[in-house]
Amino acid sequence: MVRLLVEPFRDAYMQRALIEVLLLSGLAGIVSVYVLLRRLAFVGDALTHTIFPGVAIAFVAGQSLFLGALVAGLLSAVLLTWASRIPTVDQDAALGVLVGAFFSLGVVIVSTRQSYTADLTALLFGRILTVDTAEIIQTAVITAAVLVVLALLHKELVLRAFDPVAAEAMGYRVMALDLVVNGLVALVVVAGVRAVGTVLVIALLVVPGAIARLVTDRIGGLLVVSVGAAALCGYVGLAASYEASLNHRVRVGSGATIVVALTVAFLGAATVTTLVRRRRPAPTTPQADPVPA
Amino acid sequence: MSVRYGRDLALEDVSLSVARGGAVALIGPNGAGKSTLLKAILGLLPLAQGGVKVLGRRPEDAREQVAYVQQADTLDPEFPVSVLQVVLMGRYRAVGWARRPGAADRREAMRALTEVGLADRAKDRFGTLSGGQRQRVLLARAIAQHAQLLLLDEPFNGLDATTTDVLIEVLARLRGDGVGVVMSTHDLAVAHLTCGDACVLNRRRVAYGPIDQAITPGNLAEAYGSRAVLLASEATIVTTAD
Repeated sequence: MVRLLVEPFRDAYMQRALIEVLLLSGLAGIVSVYVLLRRLAFVGDALTHTIFPGVAIAFVAGQSLFLGALVAGLLSAVLLTWASRIPTVDQDAALGVLVGAFFSLGVVIVSTRQSYTADLTALLFGRILTVDTAEIIQTAVITAAVLVVLALLHKELVLRAFDPVAAEAMGYRVMALDLVVNGLVALVVVAGVRAVGTVLVIALLVVPGAIARLVTDRIGGLLVVSVGAAALCGYVGLAASYEASLNHRVRVGSGATIVVALTVAFLGAATVTTLVRRRRPAPTTPQADPVPA
Repeated sequence: MSVRYGRDLALEDVSLSVARGGAVALIGPNGAGKSTLLKAILGLLPLAQGGVKVLGRRPEDAREQVAYVQQADTLDPEFPVSVLQVVLMGRYRAVGWARRPGAADRREAMRALTEVGLADRAKDRFGTLSGGQRQRVLLARAIAQHAQLLLLDEPFNGLDATTTDVLIEVLARLRGDGVGVVMSTHDLAVAHLTCGDACVLNRRRVAYGPIDQAITPGNLAEAYGSRAVLLASEATIVTTAD
């Protein structure tokens, strides 16, 4: 067992991958809680698509794909926030229109090129095993920035998620708070894409928070469990893909294996909590007040 | 003032005033503009005409002095937040950005919870409380805010006797401390018990003044139309289906 968990990380490239995965776990695990509280899974999904034209433009221009994704991610976070506040437009429809517009723009730009290169394939599925020190530093900077923002605004963001009317009545600018959260989600998407790809980054944004919600009712507990679950699944997924590829000659993508680990953890937590709740009478049913006179 | 939603005039030429320690009940059918009026006082809606002054200032500048209590059933009962945390939210403006509520804020919140009779439920999740208890938690949040003006949007709708009693007591105590109250309600008995003045409205002001003079069968019939059935005087207005 120890061999399975330690041996994979003897090589420098696996150590770099592990550091990147643990950083991403901290980042995605924390933001995942706010995604859960605000029910922003669809916004996260939308952002995985809207970063595509930024990447495509950067690719064609020979610039850093990370930078392209960052610019497109933050720009689309602004547009998403703004579009969801137009009273005459349904929020889901606004998201759909933006996703379609951004993604097709990316496809048009890429299709002007002869071939899709490895870089763009990596964007879809991630390439955690080739992460270099500079990329780790980028992820660390993003993680630090997100942590600072959340440390400053945590209670206001929770208030807004719980009771937007009261937040507005108290004088908070709800749209500004929404912009902050959407921006944070965009940053996770940009950072996570390199590790697990656009297709799977949404799992990093949604599943850790969902696991935590099964286990605890407290926001502090949610943050701890979410980060812990993401880190554990990242570690196990990385080790498992190494073991399968090297010792069993089954080539499995590391990013996908991490997501499989997250899914297994979610199903396990869901099963256990369901069984536990069935055993004892539900403690969460509202206590009845005296009948109105 | 007048408030417009799109092309429709949601409120036309309604005016009222609340003195320190005074209380005005807003009486009118659903869609009459009661919530709109409260939101206009909060400065959340652009006015088509007229103006709102709260403690001599623009509503946007006076929000820290205004507490707003909406119906508790508009909030997600699954949200992972404790009763105490909800009440502490009333302290957030006073606490300020980037800081966490301190021991003094917790004492304030517990005092408010004690006043509404829910101190023993402080650690429970908000959603595990009954509808009436949740309404009391929101009232405790408003108490903890130490506002000069309290706005309540149909706080008595479908509540149990305990909660109604607590609300009446708390409103009387706050008014005694000089807090002004504006409350929308369908419950005329409660309106009489808590408010000195009433404003009967249906998009425009039907009647306004001391509650005994404003709430008359004639004014209610005008506001509610032929659908209104008044069960004895000072009782609840029952409206038949549209």
